[in-house]
Amino acid sequence: MAELFAKYFPNVVYQGWNGDGGWLPAIGQTLYMTFWSAIFGGILGLVFGIGLVLTDSDGILPNRGTFSFFDKVVSFFRAIPFIILLAFIAPVTQKIVGTQIGTTAALVPLSLGVFPFYARQVQVALASVDHGIIEAAQSLGATFSDIVFDVYLREARSELIRVTTVTLISLIGLTAMAGAIGAGGLGNMAIAYGYNRFANDTTFVATLLVLIFVLLVQLIGDFLARVLNHKNI
Amino acid sequence: MTEKIIELDNISVTFKQKNQTIEAVKNVSLDINRGDIYGIVGYSGAGKSTLVRVINLLQKPTSGKAKINGDLFYENTDGHEKVIETNKLRKKRRKIGMIFQHFNLLNEQTVVQNVEFALKHSSLKEKEIASKALDLLKLVGLEDRANAYPSQLSGGQQQRVAIARALANDPEILISDEGTSALDPKNTIQILDLLKRLNNELGLTVVLITHEMEAVKRIADRVAVMENGEIIETGNLLDIFTNAKHKLTREFVGTESASSKALATLKAAKLVQLDDDQECIQLTYIGSSVSESLIVKLYKDFDVIANIIYGNIEILQGTPVGALFVIVKGSVENRKKAIKFLKEQDIIVTKVEEGEVFNG
Repeated sequence: MAELFAKYFPNVVYQGWNGDGGWLPAIGQTLYMTFWSAIFGGILGLVFGIGLVLTDSDGILPNRGTFSFFDKVVSFFRAIPFIILLAFIAPVTQKIVGTQIGTTAALVPLSLGVFPFYARQVQVALASVDHGIIEAAQSLGATFSDIVFDVYLREARSELIRVTTVTLISLIGLTAMAGAIGAGGLGNMAIAYGYNRFANDTTFVATLLVLIFVLLVQLIGDFLARVLNHKNI
Repeated sequence: MTEKIIELDNISVTFKQKNQTIEAVKNVSLDINRGDIYGIVGYSGAGKSTLVRVINLLQKPTSGKAKINGDLFYENTDGHEKVIETNKLRKKRRKIGMIFQHFNLLNEQTVVQNVEFALKHSSLKEKEIASKALDLLKLVGLEDRANAYPSQLSGGQQQRVAIARALANDPEILISDEGTSALDPKNTIQILDLLKRLNNELGLTVVLITHEMEAVKRIADRVAVMENGEIIETGNLLDIFTNAKHKLTREFVGTESASSKALATLKAAKLVQLDDDQECIQLTYIGSSVSESLIVKLYKDFDVIANIIYGNIEILQGTPVGALFVIVKGSVENRKKAIKFLKEQDIIVTKVEEGEVFNG
């Protein structure tokens, strides 16, 4: 079995498990980048998404100025192609992380790249909460935080999980580009060690691993979204 | 001694949209007494929902004065707006329950959690909240569905949960915004009877907005009719049903009354033809019952033959209200005298226009 694999995937075996260009570090880097930028980008996206819904003209804190601030920031960052964003915010990355290259440095552009997308998704998910439910909560004397947490976030939770899944998958796609600033990961493996060296087998296996990762995220996301939905059974 | 619990004074609500302003409520004044069931009827778009949202300030008016249960919620009579403070309003809102056409329950929380949500800021301890929530569910007959999710309940059951939730903080006012409009007739009656029971047992003041006259007829004490943002007629239920001044009110009452349905049937069947010495009149009598002797008397004293084509009786606020459709035959002079006599017996006589029933 191992011999057969070595025969058809010589370059994959050549990369080895550990060390520079090894498979384990590549997988670890992809997981690391996805996880932390999902946390930072997710928090930013949630804050902006909630902000957009609350300050919109039919929200519970209508405020044209604040809404337009959130809206402009989100639109601005969404408009920048990610590969350019990587370079564009390098000085900011330098300030925050102390270096412009490497896996940790990639977290800054990744978070900034994913949050506007997530913010828009969160906005749509929260806007799907029936306005009547919010009105009912208000008629019961609910406070601001009751309405945000018990009504908006809880009522839309299944929808939020669905958009989080979509966002995570697109984030995995972004991490593949982070190789451009020396962040490593499976994307880098597929390009730098596979494509650039005409090692198609390496590209193939790297792609396969990304696919498995995406599939797992999708399956878990779908499962949670289903279990946490009590709206239409 | 009746005490006003809701005082709306010259309330106007204006919505500004791009280039136009829409006056949803125009200078409406409305007083509602404690313990009343007050029906507000009108077609959709008449401004009923907007008006009642002023009661708990879900809708801030543009001008006027709103005083609820002794507290000034809103005042703007001289260009200076005075609005109750947000924190205070929150507490006051808990004393004004509200139910909605589409129930508006929290879908991701169970029935009992929905009721507990309303009690989140009460001074009760966690255990007391749980037991009070269960008591409320018992009150509406749903304690066995406490752990179900709203989507697992029927519409009528969901509305009962909404009522339990609205009653959680022992409100003195309950607003029903088309609360029975999405329900089937059987559930509608159940919900209305529940509201009536709460009104009796807890002394709850109920404000009932609806476009269904049937609902008002079943439980309301007083009625206001709205059209184009204005209240065009108010009165107690009996007056509105037997002696409506405004055409729209009669239309509302009419579309819902069994009599008009019977008339429509007669018209469709072309069963009745009127001769020159005949006319069709509607006799409405309240409280007492018209006996056969009246008909006999018409014949004996006025030489007028009365032929009953349709009759029915309804109970409004516990008072029987009867309606008779009669074709009277006799000379013009005699018919006039007969009608005068009937009016003297406290019977409301309305001439039924030929077009309404005949030659149709």
